[in-house]
Amino acid sequence: MDPMLEARDLCKSYEGFSLAKVSLTLSPGGILGVFGPNGAGKTTLIKLLAGQFPADAGDLRLFHLGYDEGEREIKDRVGYCPQEPPYYPDYTPVELARFAAPFYSRWDGACFYGLLDRFRISAHKKFRHLSAGQKTLFSLSLALSHQPDLLLLDEPAAGLDDANRRFLQDTLRAFVGGGEKAVLISSHVSDGLDEVAERVLFLGRGAPILAADKEELLARWKWVHFREGALDGALAARLTAMRHHPFGNSGLCSDFPAMSASLADALAAGDARVENARLSDVLVHLTQGG
Amino acid sequence: MFITLSPTSPDPMYKQITDQVRDAIASGELAANEKLPSIRELAEALKTSVITVKRAYLDLEGEGCIITRAGLGSFVAAIDPSRLRARKLEEFRIELDRIVRTGAKFSIRPDDLVRLIRGIKEEHDGSDA
Repeated sequence: MDPMLEARDLCKSYEGFSLAKVSLTLSPGGILGVFGPNGAGKTTLIKLLAGQFPADAGDLRLFHLGYDEGEREIKDRVGYCPQEPPYYPDYTPVELARFAAPFYSRWDGACFYGLLDRFRISAHKKFRHLSAGQKTLFSLSLALSHQPDLLLLDEPAAGLDDANRRFLQDTLRAFVGGGEKAVLISSHVSDGLDEVAERVLFLGRGAPILAADKEELLARWKWVHFREGALDGALAARLTAMRHHPFGNSGLCSDFPAMSASLADALAAGDARVENARLSDVLVHLTQGG
Repeated sequence: MFITLSPTSPDPMYKQITDQVRDAIASGELAANEKLPSIRELAEALKTSVITVKRAYLDLEGEGCIITRAGLGSFVAAIDPSRLRARKLEEFRIELDRIVRTGAKFSIRPDDLVRLIRGIKEEHDGSDA
């Protein structure tokens, strides 16, 4: 399908940090999760994609337009939630919305007030007095209310309670459900947003480590637990993140379908067990070698 | 002894431990009077809490599978093997009940299952020879 966002070899450097050669595409109906440890460059990447500053090198197109040729149209169609919402702290949500609305051709006030209500955000409280979670939800409400085709959300689950996090997941699934819109989120993985991502991009220290379909990735990465001596050396050597303890050994397998036939005997004998790896297991292993 | 804990299992952690220790005793892997790992040691290796392992050991003690001696640790009890076998048979019966019911949905009859089991046994006997 025709991609809504195409980035090729994006680079950005500034004092003490550089992001190197990130490529990604996002097609309608997709949710891409950008995951990585602190300082990996998630925020820098999203700011580049949102046109907050230009890349030093690389090519970026949203809806087939570059920011230099169609900034106005792109920003009209992109809902961007920065990690730290840049709103005037002394304005109330209603005042901030009144300020933002004219910038968007498809602003929907009813949608905005519906979301404020749904999130129980006080419409007339100064922004600075909202809780961290409410600030995030306000930012999301604003982004959703101008009917964007693409959402760029930088750690949107930060500060949310479990119920709101679940509501955010449902909202994002519904947003892309029609197959015409797309979402890109960054997250720490453990906040539950990995559940909604269909594709994942792992960043580690300013460079992409892995891009994959999430379900395919999780079908390949498994924990293999085995009794000491139950696997021959060559087989055990194919496991990483190995852990030995007196009651069994555990290692991560990065290609379970290719390994499962060789494990069949040990599995049938109860001398080995396989457990799904979590996305964060794979991420931590790949980014920190843990 | 080979023990793993599965975070996705519907069984609570302490039950996963008791089941696996009991199995190790029933299969003869752990012999009577053999010393079990200390609660702290097992908790550390399995990355679980001391309270969880303590609960598992208490349950095993309640069942008569292990004996805990103050200051010495826990030991495998001299337990009548037929008791553990009877328990295992019951577990198998429940598993088979599930298989028989599932089979019925697909017109696979108990006779077919018996034939399958015999076939598997012959395969194993053949590969052992």
